[in-house]
Amino acid sequence: MPLLDIKNLTLEIETTNGWVKALDKISLTIAPKEIRALVGESGSGKSLIVKAIVGAINEGWRLTADRLNWGGKDLLMLSDEERRQITREDIAVIFQNPTHSLDPTATLGEQLEEAIPDHLIGKGWYWERRQRRNEIVASQLHKVGIKEHDACVSSYPHQIPDDICQKFMIAMALASEPKLLIADDPTKGMETTTKIQILKLLSRLNETKELSILFVSHDLLAIASLAETMTVLYCGQTVESGRLMQLRRRPLHPYTKALLDSAPSFRKDLLPKTELNALEGTIPTLQNLPAGCRLGPRCPRAQKECVKMPEVRYIQNHYYSCHFPLHRYK
Amino acid sequence: MITYILRRLNLLLLTLLILALASYWLVHAFPGDPVANLSGVSFITAEQKAYLDQYYHTDKSFLNQFIRYLELLWLGDWGKSFVSGQPLVDEIATFLPASIELGTYALILSLLFGIPLGFWAGIKHGKVSDYSILSFSLLGYSVPVFWLALLLILFFSLQLGWLPISGRISLLYDIPQETGFIVYDILASNIENKYEALVNAASHMLLPTISISIVTSTIIMKMTRHSVIEVLSSDYIRAAYAKGLTSRQVLLKHGLRNALLPIVPQVAMQFTTLLTNAMIVETIFSWPGVGNWLIQAIYQEDYPAIRAGMLAVSVLVVVFTVFIDLTHKVFDPKRMHHRRVKN
Repeated sequence: MPLLDIKNLTLEIETTNGWVKALDKISLTIAPKEIRALVGESGSGKSLIVKAIVGAINEGWRLTADRLNWGGKDLLMLSDEERRQITREDIAVIFQNPTHSLDPTATLGEQLEEAIPDHLIGKGWYWERRQRRNEIVASQLHKVGIKEHDACVSSYPHQIPDDICQKFMIAMALASEPKLLIADDPTKGMETTTKIQILKLLSRLNETKELSILFVSHDLLAIASLAETMTVLYCGQTVESGRLMQLRRRPLHPYTKALLDSAPSFRKDLLPKTELNALEGTIPTLQNLPAGCRLGPRCPRAQKECVKMPEVRYIQNHYYSCHFPLHRYK
Repeated sequence: MITYILRRLNLLLLTLLILALASYWLVHAFPGDPVANLSGVSFITAEQKAYLDQYYHTDKSFLNQFIRYLELLWLGDWGKSFVSGQPLVDEIATFLPASIELGTYALILSLLFGIPLGFWAGIKHGKVSDYSILSFSLLGYSVPVFWLALLLILFFSLQLGWLPISGRISLLYDIPQETGFIVYDILASNIENKYEALVNAASHMLLPTISISIVTSTIIMKMTRHSVIEVLSSDYIRAAYAKGLTSRQVLLKHGLRNALLPIVPQVAMQFTTLLTNAMIVETIFSWPGVGNWLIQAIYQEDYPAIRAGMLAVSVLVVVFTVFIDLTHKVFDPKRMHHRRVKN
């Protein structure tokens, strides 16, 4: 049974032009011990999916889904208390923008301590629990590579540099020993050595603690070194998903191909001074979404039928939604 | 931090200097002899004139005059009132505490009502309770203070007869003035019926305090509501929810402090509005405060009193504002210095 099973998740946001589907029938599954990458341009709704899973969406947004299941339980049907329990113990999130996601007026130590669930601290006197809590804080910080834990816990978020803030966010997410880690661009803005450190940490946790990871990023290199499966997102629609190797070898959706082609370090056969490929145009704004397949106006293979939303089709475990996939109608 | 405090104090000194300059300009701008306006002696003989010219350096250059004026301000010789002939420093020392007392109670009352209501409205943003609190605050904000004060007198004093119309305490109680703060003076005095005197003073205080604080509390309520809504929609609040904390924990641990911090300097700014309203209310309730005194001075063309009163009130406002600003900076962790944590 998959750990997280999302089917046709739709998130509507009210804009000046009425209700707009910011997420349109997203499907996503994560099996235990799986590392799934969620890829897409900025503005494709990656962070919205993350927020929808942990229930941190704004009031007034409409969230509907055929399935939003956690270990067989429908998250949308649970009471607030039960859902809170799940997000407290089983799911952890590393948010984008670490400096914005930390309370500016509380020290990092306070914030890390409140992320530790009670069952990890155990019973005992006040000072024993305090002692235990401090130990967990120190060990978590060491794990992500922050050596001066004392200086770190007594600092406020604005006092420490961004990359350490990011590492701190990771430490905070891992403090509750979750089953699923949702990492929203965790290596953003890090230099390569730190990035490798973090990726190694994540894959080690995946192997030793059976941690499932939803790795949200647009860093294809990092994804290739970490993830087994990948879901490609374009403008709030799931475009293609399947095993990473399969997608890399034979992408079926024009967008996936464009995305892979746009990463030069991903192509070994690239000669010096070759022109780089990129799709024409930019991702449409929420106010001007095209009908049907949202890639339509930018798609090199688009035809009349593309104004209708394509059905999800699949070849074995490889799902795609396109009227004119790359293996047909050459 | 030290440099920040020094910079603020420097600014304070400069502002005070400009205020003094403005008040000295008033001496010359008011009709009549500047020396009379300075000293408060209305009919000056030639002999006195020569003496006063020497005393106030009015026969010397402007800079010299102004420096002498500052010196006298510092020494406490602010001149005398045309009307009463009393030294102005003594008069202000009598009347200003009454105003400060009234303003303080009104501010405390507004904070007690404004912040919790604003917080509640912010949490319930977009719901019925939010809108009802908001419309109530709009109503309170739009009501003119003098009209509200008159209505309160009409209803509670004349119709129901519960509370006295005017004054600070009944004439039956003879409270020796020590600090000018009536509650403190009653407690410090050795009269027999302290408790009754306190109740009497409180009943006199109630209506003026309410009429001033309604406007201020609606403003504070709006500011709190706005700040709470802003903080609650911020990323770190959502992140805190995603950590699995309860709403209560999120609000108390992360919402409260972040929402209240930006309000503190704004509340301090309200003190000015409060003082202006207090002056009007003092006149209506015959409260023996500096506002009432100043308005009487204006009616009676008591120029030295107007000058000194303006100076005293504006100095009070400026000092208070800077003080609040400094406290805010001291307690705001966002102001603390950066330091590098090693990897």
